[in-house]
Amino acid sequence: MQSNKLSRFIVYAVLIYFAVYYLLPLYVMLTTSVKTMDEIRGGNLLSFPMHITFAAWSKAWGSACTGVECTGLAPFFWNSVRMVIPAVAISTTLGAINGYILSKWKFPGSELVFALLMYGLYIPFQVLLLPMATTEGWLGIASSTTGLVFVHVVCGIASTTLFFRNFYVGIPDELINAARLDGAGFWRIFWRIVLPMSIPILMVTLIWQFTQIWNDFLFGLVFSAGGSQPITVGLNNLANTSTTVKEYNVDMAAAIIAALPTIFVYVAAGKYFVRGLAAGAVKG
Amino acid sequence: MIQSTRPAQYGFAERWLPRLVLAPSFLLSLVFIYGFVAWNGYLSFTSSSLLPNYHWVGLHQYERLFANERWWVAVENLFKFGILFIGVSMLVGILLAILLDQKIRQEGALRTIYLYPMALSFIVTGTAWKWMLNPGLGLEKMMHDWGWTSFQFDWLVNPDMSIYTVVIAGIWQSSGFVMALFLAGLRGIDDSIIKAAQIDGATLPRIYWKIILPAMRPVFFSTLMILAHIAIKSFDLVVALTGGGPGFSSDLPATYMYAMAFTRGEMGLGSASAMMMLLTVSAVIVPYLYSELRRGR
Amino acid sequence: MGALAIKNVTKSFGDTHILKGIDIEIDDGQFLILVGPSGCGKSTLMNIIAGLESPTSGEVHIGDRIVNDVAPKDRDIAMVFQSYALYPTMNVRQNIAFGLETRGVPKKEQEEVINRVAKMLQMDHLLDRKPGQLSGGQRQRVAMGRALARDPILFLFDEPLSNLDAKLRVEMRTEIKQLHHRLKTTIVYVTHDQIEAMTLGDRIAVMKDGVIQQFGSPQDIYERPSNMFVASFIGSPSMNFIECHLAEQNGQIGVSLTSESDARFVPLKDGAKFAKRVGQEVVMGVRPEQLDVAHGDEMALGCKVMLTEPTGPDTMIFTRINGKDVTARVHPRDAKGPGEVMRLALDMGKVVFFDPKTQLRID
Repeated sequence: MQSNKLSRFIVYAVLIYFAVYYLLPLYVMLTTSVKTMDEIRGGNLLSFPMHITFAAWSKAWGSACTGVECTGLAPFFWNSVRMVIPAVAISTTLGAINGYILSKWKFPGSELVFALLMYGLYIPFQVLLLPMATTEGWLGIASSTTGLVFVHVVCGIASTTLFFRNFYVGIPDELINAARLDGAGFWRIFWRIVLPMSIPILMVTLIWQFTQIWNDFLFGLVFSAGGSQPITVGLNNLANTSTTVKEYNVDMAAAIIAALPTIFVYVAAGKYFVRGLAAGAVKG
Repeated sequence: MIQSTRPAQYGFAERWLPRLVLAPSFLLSLVFIYGFVAWNGYLSFTSSSLLPNYHWVGLHQYERLFANERWWVAVENLFKFGILFIGVSMLVGILLAILLDQKIRQEGALRTIYLYPMALSFIVTGTAWKWMLNPGLGLEKMMHDWGWTSFQFDWLVNPDMSIYTVVIAGIWQSSGFVMALFLAGLRGIDDSIIKAAQIDGATLPRIYWKIILPAMRPVFFSTLMILAHIAIKSFDLVVALTGGGPGFSSDLPATYMYAMAFTRGEMGLGSASAMMMLLTVSAVIVPYLYSELRRGR
Repeated sequence: MGALAIKNVTKSFGDTHILKGIDIEIDDGQFLILVGPSGCGKSTLMNIIAGLESPTSGEVHIGDRIVNDVAPKDRDIAMVFQSYALYPTMNVRQNIAFGLETRGVPKKEQEEVINRVAKMLQMDHLLDRKPGQLSGGQRQRVAMGRALARDPILFLFDEPLSNLDAKLRVEMRTEIKQLHHRLKTTIVYVTHDQIEAMTLGDRIAVMKDGVIQQFGSPQDIYERPSNMFVASFIGSPSMNFIECHLAEQNGQIGVSLTSESDARFVPLKDGAKFAKRVGQEVVMGVRPEQLDVAHGDEMALGCKVMLTEPTGPDTMIFTRINGKDVTARVHPRDAKGPGEVMRLALDMGKVVFFDPKTQLRID
């Protein structure tokens, strides 16, 4: 069994090699963010910080310049929070109900609606930008958090519906029929029977929508201005603001701040995501 | 059952409630997705520049687009980026999935490590890699410090190579996701097939090559679709990493569209390029969706 | 009007005709079995009775009303599903109470019903468990309990035992029968298992290809199957079909039977009935137990045993008559080994005849 041992060794070596590859950027971001600029210039990417300082973090959060204003990322962070909560809640709710109808209450034409939504999943959002910007101007929600939430809901319905629909297809129709015979109607079946069974897919959808919307840049860039810009726009402005000296430690601290919520969600609930994604997305 | 049986529905509530409840989402999609696609299509035939106008100019904007060097750079970049990004992400993802499927200790931890980049915004990824690939202080300096003084890595500022930095960062971010999809697929394969093949005397690599990977065709296709979709709409990564530069050497259609529509005051050109993106996606997606929906019945 | 009447019900999807004109009527308290091979339309018919699918044409009467346009919940029926369809997130108590709750039954009354049902099915100890924590048999019991809680005028059972193992299936079969005796409610029961059909039913509808092949009492269907499909579908081992030629010899109408070692002319019991068909080919249907060891001298045919299959109480003997494989059911002590010759006698009073072309029974 000598060759077996060798091949096990190779398997682990490759796996660990890739683990290092995925982790290195995180390491670099973290160490860079706690170094001083002098140390950054003096050392190199991988050198360990000599004097750990959180000055870059507080600057990134509170006083770094993102263009003409120097407010740090804090306002952008809270903009994102204000945007992500309603957008995730509304798109997930609509997705759950749509999925329920498209799997358990089919009617003539419901397959067409489903096909329409599915195709919407793949449309490059660039084709929506100009008309959406014009319309939001008319509606008076351009450059506002409301406008951003609206865009995210419209563009999120397709994926949330698909997730829930694929999950609900797996719930036996007999269960719905039993509930109908028990006298329950459309809403009662949803609340009492279907929704309590939906925890796994609910987790997937919440995580998915949260990361998608939190990480979105395109819509944030096009549909928001000054007071409502999300954190991705803030980070990009911060990192690309051409001040006299480039402060990489502040950039890295800002990048980590922007990434923290989604990383936290992944580490805390990632296993539900992988499990549920396997059930939903792979089946297509 | 021979056909999908639609349940009998009685009374106003059962018959109309589902349609009524589905209607808002349907209308939202119809108006704000399909309506807007049509609207954007219409804009692409007008002389809109800084502001939209509805002066019909036929295919003029498309002629301008096809005569525009920057557009062709963006298209060429999309091909380079798409092929490398999809190909390498697939290879790495499949390799990691197969290796992780060998009853590995600490599988959960490794999986989390491979997958976490997917949780990041492309803006975060771009910012991080921009720093690491920085010609002055990044990778290059590290190699110099380690004694390899002739090492040069200037892709970020080299117009011929800048698009490949986008490829590198893209693969780093997305290959873990491919791994997750394939791992899930592998876990779905019936163990007894593998046992039967082992009894037949097949070696493990052979089992994977001949039996398991062919069985993963559907996963392969849906992953391909997802990656192609990510590639075509790639925008954030380019903006954060290279800003499309140097010059416009690392432009992609998505950044080109944004530049024309929102910074250069060329709305007609921007909408025409968006339509080209839509057509490209449709050419790939429509046949795929059609076969999926057929099969799903 | 009886408890359930189905009048000329059809169901089609485009050109696919699932049900082609079904007529059934049963009385209060009867146990109706819908039996047939898969794809025969029995489940569709059941769903139409329940109101889960609607018929393309025809009428469904439950009690004294036409229920075509009545929602399932208002038909005063309860159903036990093949997969049990227990609500997975509710415990047994909540599962049973759900139907009562939606109908606005007061809490106190709900409790009483749950206790009554739990006692009846001996599942008091399961009330606080979730379906996932129950065995197959227990789930089956809860599904029945949920149906019983409602006290409807019609119970529907959709292959309720098909997911149980063999031993449990027999136990639950008996239990369902006892329940029916005690409650005396009308039951419609779908199954593909002919033993379940025979043991449980008062009335059996044998279905194939969307058509009722025969509708009658179990005994009637067993003894006087209306066609070769019903004859072969009901009874295990299946009825033997022996092709033979009707002839007249010495003033008696009968058939010639040939085995590998013997040949004999066997007269029919009331041959006069078949006078018109003399000279024609017919198929003689013989149940295995109608082919027994001859103890006297009567009409026995020497048959060479090819194979024996002991089942315990009986032994099956496989042999050939008129070139067809034939099974005989004999007492174990009479059975002989392969290669030996046994003298087998036909119970000519019970055999039936079929027309080989139409496959219908000849009277």
